[in-house]
Amino acid sequence: MFNFLFKKEKQLESLIYQYLDHFGQTREHFLKAMDTCLNEGICGEFVFLTDQTHKFESKADEIRDEINYMMYSRALIPESREDIMSLIEQVEVIPRIFELILHIIRTQKLKIPEFVVLEVKDLLRISAESCELVSKQIDLLLRNRQGIRVLLATIDGNESHCDHIERSLMTKIFDSDLEIVHKLQLKELIVAMGEISDQADRVSRRVNILTLKRRV
Amino acid sequence: MLPLLGGVFLGWSLGANDAANCFGSAVASRMVKFRTAAALCALFVVVGAVLQGRAGIETLKELTGVNLEQAVVITVAAALTVSIMTITGLPASTSQAAVGAILGIGFFNQDLNLAGLGKVVACWFGTPVGAVLAALALHQLLGAVYNRLPITLFQSDMLLRAGLITAGAYASYALGANNVANATAVFVGAEMLSVSAAALIGGLSIAFGVLTYSRGVMETVGRKLVRLDPFSALVVVLAGGVTVHFYTLMGVPVSTSQAVIGAVLGIGIIKGVQTIRRATLYGILAGWFLTPPVACFIAMCIYFAMHLQYVPR
Repeated sequence: MFNFLFKKEKQLESLIYQYLDHFGQTREHFLKAMDTCLNEGICGEFVFLTDQTHKFESKADEIRDEINYMMYSRALIPESREDIMSLIEQVEVIPRIFELILHIIRTQKLKIPEFVVLEVKDLLRISAESCELVSKQIDLLLRNRQGIRVLLATIDGNESHCDHIERSLMTKIFDSDLEIVHKLQLKELIVAMGEISDQADRVSRRVNILTLKRRV
Repeated sequence: MLPLLGGVFLGWSLGANDAANCFGSAVASRMVKFRTAAALCALFVVVGAVLQGRAGIETLKELTGVNLEQAVVITVAAALTVSIMTITGLPASTSQAAVGAILGIGFFNQDLNLAGLGKVVACWFGTPVGAVLAALALHQLLGAVYNRLPITLFQSDMLLRAGLITAGAYASYALGANNVANATAVFVGAEMLSVSAAALIGGLSIAFGVLTYSRGVMETVGRKLVRLDPFSALVVVLAGGVTVHFYTLMGVPVSTSQAVIGAVLGIGIIKGVQTIRRATLYGILAGWFLTPPVACFIAMCIYFAMHLQYVPR
């Protein structure tokens, strides 16, 4: 009955799902790029996938700007506006970390040593899983469905697991015979990789708070 | 028609001040454009005044018998009281000001309907209390339903927004039905207007105030209410509307501001937080107790001054 009054909300909903879709695409391309880097080193395919990751991240930024613009033009009630804007601000940190990691590897022509590849792959796999779960959690929040706390627990568990892998990687790197500069470069890279699951955990906690806030 | 100007002015100031209690939160939070809110409010005020304004007019008309001159004094005194209280920063109720002024004239006439006056004063006490109870009940009831609704965040948002617009329209209806008596009842008592004409003219003057001068108050009062979460803001507007409508059915004009304040206090009880600052509460209480005697005093002074005669030695 009141649908004609809420055209903007409908558009906004579709934009948020578009944003989440681009977030997913950025993650996919990042993982492919990292896989290529770990298997074949820095090659043409890696550069192409890095550019693709950047392309999807930029597109996601554009959608975020559109979402903000729409919200400033009076879509949604103020509290929901604030909640969604702060949530998207937190989510968009993750693609920035993806880009940072690829940028570090590309500009510093960083070679990841063989003895850490398996653990790095593990770290990336678990972090990517957390990002996927965050997307699902946001979808549940938007659809007002149950199950957010279960996902929160899984993401929290993933974060602890990633911290453990991160520490193990650091120990291995600094125990190795690599040059000190190379060690420091790898340290920067591993810290950035560990930040993915940390940020996913932060977003997940925020989603959980927003869910609790919406209950009367 | 000139004597009616006092009533029209009182209705205008009532509309300018009290529209905020109906649409303040929706406008201040940019959920509804001011023009849309003002148009909806004005429309429902007139509808409320015409359809259900009769009972309040009958009650005020019967408080004391007045002639046309006294009717003009009453409306001017009430309008002056509200203006003075507003300038001094104390929230004033137009209903209390109108009844206070009628009492002033009633003292002069030595003609007061004490039973009717008792009912009115009892309802003044009952307004904030009733609003607290209405807010408690509505919050529990609507909250239980809202939490069980299988809707998305966007649908919930739309629902709250539509709810605020509907509640605002309902509160406007209650405002028109209840408060129209303050503006024009005395002219019915003075046999200048019929009840229907008084309801229509009073409703239109309140609507005129809403359309021309309510924006500032809506923004200010609205921002105070917006600090509540959207669901609580909806409950406050609805509880205020229900309370005022209840007293409309009893035929007693009450203050929509006091109803809204009562509802905000009710939300505070549920949430276990202080929703109104102590200083604000003291101001409200001061306004609540001072408005009727000040209006009564001003009406007596004006009436006394009008009848002073120069007696040469």
